[in-house]
Amino acid sequence: MIQLLAFGRFEVVRLLRSWKFLLITVGFPVVFYMLFLDDRSAGKVIAGTVPWRMYLMVSMCSFGALVASLTAAGARLSTERASGWARQLRITPIPAWSYVATKIAASMLVILPVIVLVEIVGAAFGGVELPFSRWVELAALLWVTSLPFAVLGVFIGFLVNAETAFPVVTALMFVLGYFGGLFTPVANMPGALRTAARILPSYHHAGLGLALLDGHSLGVEHWLVLAGYVAALGFGVVVKHRIEEARGIA
Amino acid sequence: MKEETATPTRAPEPVALASGAALRFHAVTHRYGAHVALDDLHLEVARGETVALLGPNGAGKTTMISLLLGLLHPSAGDVEVLDTSPHAAVAGGRVGAMLQTGSGSGLPPGVTVRAALRLVRSLYRHPAPFDVTVERAGIAPFLSRQTHRLSGGQAQRVRFAIAIAGNPDLVFLDEPTAAMDVAGRRSFWGMIRQFGREGRTTVFATHHLQEADRVADRVVVVNHGRLVADGPGATLKAAVAARHVQFVCDAPDEKQLDSLEGVTDVEVRGRGVRLDSLDADATVRALVEHQIAFSDLEVKGVGLEEAFVALTGPGRAAG
Repeated sequence: MIQLLAFGRFEVVRLLRSWKFLLITVGFPVVFYMLFLDDRSAGKVIAGTVPWRMYLMVSMCSFGALVASLTAAGARLSTERASGWARQLRITPIPAWSYVATKIAASMLVILPVIVLVEIVGAAFGGVELPFSRWVELAALLWVTSLPFAVLGVFIGFLVNAETAFPVVTALMFVLGYFGGLFTPVANMPGALRTAARILPSYHHAGLGLALLDGHSLGVEHWLVLAGYVAALGFGVVVKHRIEEARGIA
Repeated sequence: MKEETATPTRAPEPVALASGAALRFHAVTHRYGAHVALDDLHLEVARGETVALLGPNGAGKTTMISLLLGLLHPSAGDVEVLDTSPHAAVAGGRVGAMLQTGSGSGLPPGVTVRAALRLVRSLYRHPAPFDVTVERAGIAPFLSRQTHRLSGGQAQRVRFAIAIAGNPDLVFLDEPTAAMDVAGRRSFWGMIRQFGREGRTTVFATHHLQEADRVADRVVVVNHGRLVADGPGATLKAAVAARHVQFVCDAPDEKQLDSLEGVTDVEVRGRGVRLDSLDADATVRALVEHQIAFSDLEVKGVGLEEAFVALTGPGRAAG
């Protein structure tokens, strides 16, 4: 156990030390958010009862969590596997799963401040007003439900190599962002895309946040799809890990 | 090389302290798809030995080390490390290794050497003292450097430090000096010898005959997944010394040539003669003494592959 904690601490410290990474991870969603903020749309209400400004903030929280996961685990993991460090860890006493578990945990740790920061921007510039307890609830909800993103990041890290990591991660960010309705509300999309959005984790992640702010019950569908992603991607990670193990790579 | 030893009394539990074997291959075959990387391999290494695994690229050395570390599982046969399974030995922190990393450094990016070494130590229950490891590996001058700023030789040393940081009983080094210059190699092997003197078992893979001979108590030659030769380094000296003596001769007498001092094999093609000799000087002297008329004399060292042939004796050549 002490060994695992030491490894976790090492990973987190290493993550926090790389300022370039943090700048992209934290700065990107915030800048994006700022660009989207404009006075004309401030009063708009989208499909139903959610004010535009709330939609935008929640979307940017989801987008931030997605970006953090993909860059924290995805891109870095592929580099580490290429360098041989991942393999070196496998011949230390810590169990094989701890590497993956630590990566997921480290991603989750980075996601939390991203969500909080977007909330702060939302309160300061985005015109979102909420009771304090609601802010906390929203952050907690969006954080916990970011798990599928964190697992996705690790899965991608196992799938791509150091060269393909960048384009794949970038493409995923925008595909999941756009088609998940994080840049444009799904309600404004044509029918086919509206259906497509419902199979994406990004849509359901933001959906939970919006339901919370809207006072709706937190739809079962959202939870089911997100849990399904955790299970499927987790399974993917295990399978990929086993394959590489059998070949003696990872 | 079928040593049917008074084999595996199968130590029930890893209780026996110095029960002998540091590692054991028993009838191990390993395949990658259709390719047979190891073919019915038997090998036993006693504790405290420093053993070189010598062979050309693709001989099966890395596969052997991967099996010993539990990174691979044999297609058939048994691999034992410190009287237990490779996985248990690794999980117990009793094994350290320097793996081949291809183009990568094998080190975690974005941290100092110090931080990386500290981490690795913290993963073991009874690590060697930090300073001892630093001194042994000679990495004190660049402890504060970021891992991605190290030269190839420096990274190699850090990887050695990582291999021994957990105070292991058994260390595997897969082509450890690949990225080093001559001076670096010399001091590196000095470190390994020192390490062996402490009663630890060291197994290293190399394709440098000289390194194997100089450093190891015992040299195990593998080729095409089979054990080709096994013995003390001195046996190798002969192979290293093996030379081709080539010349042109009007009427070569194969029998006579074969009887010359040092000659192990004769090949005659028309007027061209090629002798394999373990002592080229003596062979050339003998040519003169026997008044054999030769021209275009050439003496060449043999390559590794041919050295293996010399090692294993004529007839048992191709693996």
